[in-house]
Amino acid sequence: MLTMAIWCVGTLLEILVLVRGFQAKLFRLFPIFYAYLMFVTLDEFVRVCVYRWGSNHYFEVYWATQFLSLAVGSGIIFEIYRVALRSYPGAARMARYLLLIVFGAIFAKALINSSGGVFTWLAETSLVLERNLRIVQALAILTLVSLFFWYAIPFGRNLKGILIGYSLFIGMSIIQITLLYHSWDLIKPFWTYAPSLSYLLVLGIWARALWSSQPVPEARADVQLENDYELLVASTRDQFRRAVARLGWGIRA
Amino acid sequence: MTVYLTLGAAAAFVIFVLLLKAGDQESEVSAVGESNYGNRFGPVNGLQPAELAIRIFSQKDREFILRTRSSRLQRLYREERRKVALYWVRRTSRDVSQIMRNHRLRSRQSSNLNVAVEMKLVFLYVQLRFLCGILLVLIQLLGPHVPVNLAARAGELYQRIGRALSEVGAVNRAAPPGSIAAS
Repeated sequence: MLTMAIWCVGTLLEILVLVRGFQAKLFRLFPIFYAYLMFVTLDEFVRVCVYRWGSNHYFEVYWATQFLSLAVGSGIIFEIYRVALRSYPGAARMARYLLLIVFGAIFAKALINSSGGVFTWLAETSLVLERNLRIVQALAILTLVSLFFWYAIPFGRNLKGILIGYSLFIGMSIIQITLLYHSWDLIKPFWTYAPSLSYLLVLGIWARALWSSQPVPEARADVQLENDYELLVASTRDQFRRAVARLGWGIRA
Repeated sequence: MTVYLTLGAAAAFVIFVLLLKAGDQESEVSAVGESNYGNRFGPVNGLQPAELAIRIFSQKDREFILRTRSSRLQRLYREERRKVALYWVRRTSRDVSQIMRNHRLRSRQSSNLNVAVEMKLVFLYVQLRFLCGILLVLIQLLGPHVPVNLAARAGELYQRIGRALSEVGAVNRAAPPGSIAAS
């Protein structure tokens, strides 16, 4: 009964976020996010129908839709990158390089660790594969968030909400899958409610953040600055020189 | 299992903490940005003149106090100079941090940003902050006149900063700005 109530509240929240998104015209700003949410909402109805009328195929349908939602969800990370760094080509360039390094490192690790080939992880159980892919997503988000803070990129309430909600969702997924895989007996009493409740929390964050449109603050256009990278580096160098010289003189004198 | 649990929990925690601080940092950064736009590429942190540093750490003062042969005066002098030296290094460390922050705020919009130069800058910035930290510890432990070798290290570090940053000129001249951004 409680499970059904949680499911109903979750679905209502999803529909609410979608409706508010259309009303506030947010779906134009975040098309991938709303496509993902729409997919997840429809997916839940499909799963319920299959569970009720074709339970023999539930396992296949569950994992197929689960990996599809994971793939569409990865698009959200791309959307966060695209929207947040639209006005910051320098930071975007740095993000591309850092993500390349992160994905390269993951690939290299897979190459080193797998004795039977790079793609042996594809042959792992669905649960382990999902956890591994979620970890890759988490690393990509961590890289992006670190970069946002390093370059002081403003988010705006909408993007911040999407980012917090999706990060929380990924973090909770990794913890839940790990617990499920390794300590099923330990978490069995809570398993029925824990994932649904954490997803409700995520939906609550999204509903609050995406209730109305609040665009990402635009960077002040400064054409000269954009073209004067060389001058900027020279200026930083000069200021560093003065700071270091001050330190050197201070101690040496 | 513990590793994955820790990873997941740590990732979620870090993201949350960082995002919670975002609001404060945004306003702080915009305030910094506002104050610096009117002063393009100029000194932004009010660096004290080098002459003042020379005066503060002058060996002449030390020798003068030593000549008085008053242990009380010498102790007082050491204490005071230690405080001044600590303040000086802390201030320099803060200024270095501010310089880097201003650089970040400006370079983020730069379409021809050079990733290699930025990485070198970050590395040197970390080195410089670390150097300041070491200086602080040494001054606390040994007094303001002892870590002379680190001063030489700071000078050498500056030479490296100069070399690293001068490379960007050659790179940027070799490729037109638009071509890099499009890649």
